[in-house]
Amino acid sequence: SVPPFCFFSLSLSFFLSLSLSLSVALSFSLSLSFSLSPSLSLSSLSLSLSACMGFVISIILSLKCIYWGCVFQFLWRFRFLMYLQEYEARAGKAGSGGTSPTQPQHGRRKNLDFEPLSTTALILEDRPSNLPAKPVEEAQRHRQEYDEMVAEAKKRELKEAQRKRKEMKERFKQEDSIANAMVVWNHDILPNWDNMRNTRRVRELWWQGLPPNVRGKVWSLAIGNELNITPELYDIFLSRAKERWRSFSETGSEADDGASLADRESSLDLIKLDISRTFPPLFIFQKGGPYHDLLHSVLGAYTCYRPDVGYVQGMSFIAAVLILNLEEADAFIAFANLLNKPCQLAFFRVDHDLMLKYFAAFEVFFEENLPRLFNHFQISNLTPDLYLIDWIFTLYSKSLPLDVACRVWDVFCRDGEEFLFRTGLGILRLYEDVLLQMDFIHSAQFLTRLPEDIDSDRLFACIVAMPMLNGNKKWSQVKNGDVCTE
Amino acid sequence: MAYAYLFKYIIIGDTGVGKSCLLLQFTDKRFQPVHDLTIGVEFGARMITIDGKQIKLQIWDTAGQESFRSITRSYYRGAAGALLVYDITRRDTFNHLTTWLEDARQHSNSNMVIMLIGNKSDLESRREVKKEEGEAFAREHGLIFMETSAKTASNVEEAFINTAKEIYEKIQEGVFDINNEANGIKIGPQHATTNSTLSGSQGGQQAGGGCC
Repeated sequence: SVPPFCFFSLSLSFFLSLSLSLSVALSFSLSLSFSLSPSLSLSSLSLSLSACMGFVISIILSLKCIYWGCVFQFLWRFRFLMYLQEYEARAGKAGSGGTSPTQPQHGRRKNLDFEPLSTTALILEDRPSNLPAKPVEEAQRHRQEYDEMVAEAKKRELKEAQRKRKEMKERFKQEDSIANAMVVWNHDILPNWDNMRNTRRVRELWWQGLPPNVRGKVWSLAIGNELNITPELYDIFLSRAKERWRSFSETGSEADDGASLADRESSLDLIKLDISRTFPPLFIFQKGGPYHDLLHSVLGAYTCYRPDVGYVQGMSFIAAVLILNLEEADAFIAFANLLNKPCQLAFFRVDHDLMLKYFAAFEVFFEENLPRLFNHFQISNLTPDLYLIDWIFTLYSKSLPLDVACRVWDVFCRDGEEFLFRTGLGILRLYEDVLLQMDFIHSAQFLTRLPEDIDSDRLFACIVAMPMLNGNKKWSQVKNGDVCTE
Repeated sequence: MAYAYLFKYIIIGDTGVGKSCLLLQFTDKRFQPVHDLTIGVEFGARMITIDGKQIKLQIWDTAGQESFRSITRSYYRGAAGALLVYDITRRDTFNHLTTWLEDARQHSNSNMVIMLIGNKSDLESRREVKKEEGEAFAREHGLIFMETSAKTASNVEEAFINTAKEIYEKIQEGVFDINNEANGIKIGPQHATTNSTLSGSQGGQQAGGGCC
């Protein structure tokens, strides 16, 4: 351990000399400037005064420099200790065996490292001299209490530090896997979409959740464009919507007494009312927000494109999620094609009989997978429509946190409508224990307003545990009435 | 918590008139300027006291859009009270009251108490429906009437509680058959349960009778 000491003393002397020379130079220049400015007034008294002041300042400065030198010395000492420890550790690893003088330093370093921040402000002092001194046992007790507090705080902070480290590690890992997945999606999968989309590897990667910047692309490809909508067609419907909107605001505002309810409802006015009520906490869709007009355009164009369906509440959530992940025209194309799927068409046309079929099929799998909860719900008369309507109409984007909802959408794009109902079962499974303790109103409230801290990995683990098999019948067979008679 | 009766309420009316805001004000005593859209139905519950008796209100807050009517119709079943809400700043929501009333009368039990509510009374400058018009409509159709503001909480408590009072009176008069659950009234557990709130009310639910 000779070279570090050499280095240490060298650095110390270097800093001391540096600080000294700095202080001399500074004091000189300062006194010069002080003596120069009053010399204009040509008073000898002020000249000598300024010289005197300059001298005092130079002394203060040099004192300061000595102080800083000490600080530097301390810091260097600290660095040196760390170096020593590392050196020792290396030496120990090499098998030379740790020596006794390093032992206390090792302990000291550890102390410095984990000195609890919260207790450093606590200064244990005796009473001021003008007050009677503490009795010995009291002082001892205080010392002991203080030590306990410090130990407790140390423990807490150590734990917190460990938790943070773990969290960071987890996050880095996650970011890494997202970055890796992104490369795979962009370079391997997307260029060979048709060949690869159904391979096991892609399906597995897909299940993990799509990286945000390929999400829209994959959704678009998976949803497809059966309707053959082009961006030009979107522009046509958009301008038609704008025309209707204009004529409505010119003539319809006060004379809508005569208009039928249905007319008014499909009007673009209602869409306007709902846009600001779509993801209100995000603020981006509200009036003046960056996505307000975009959402208005997509929904307006859709009502012109599909007057047979019109605008139905819940659509704004679906369009909003698409807009967040795709360009305007692409979002519209995905939106129109998505709503053209049998399940979405049944719901948004509010085809009650068809909806009941979906609910009945859901109940078959519910009973199969979660018989206890199923019975509990039956007894409290909690029917699936009470929560499924909200979940299916908005594709979970209203009830689940947005990132979790997007992951549900990912696999929904992969697996189709079946996955929507499977997700429902996953949610019920995730909260089964809580729900079993609740009565009708609490369960209903819980399910229509799910906890905000829902964890996507835990949810997906629950979804995996819900096989969509009833005997040997699949979802589509059950839904089409092969089995269900309810 | 133990209660003497449980009343089921349903809140109906056009979209955007403030149904969910009224419910939030009544159950949580707060106002949200921009409330989430209601899809299907949402729920609320609160305990009130009438005539020294604890009454639990179980409130079904429905979606207002016309398209959802066929769904919400099934929610009238078993409701003892209905709050029919319109927006005093939008005349069309007042004009649609007749259809709402027809729907309600057709799909609920005949004894259901209906309270007509003109909401957003704080927006006096934008008023399109006079208070007298609301009163006249209520008189004509045998409803109770009130103007409320979910924003300032004006008359919100009264609207929910007065409806309960009316139901309670009907029970006292023997108009309601409280043993028939289709009337939207359940009798609470006969003896107070010492368990937690949840299992307590669960007990009440079960005491009210199994499934139907």
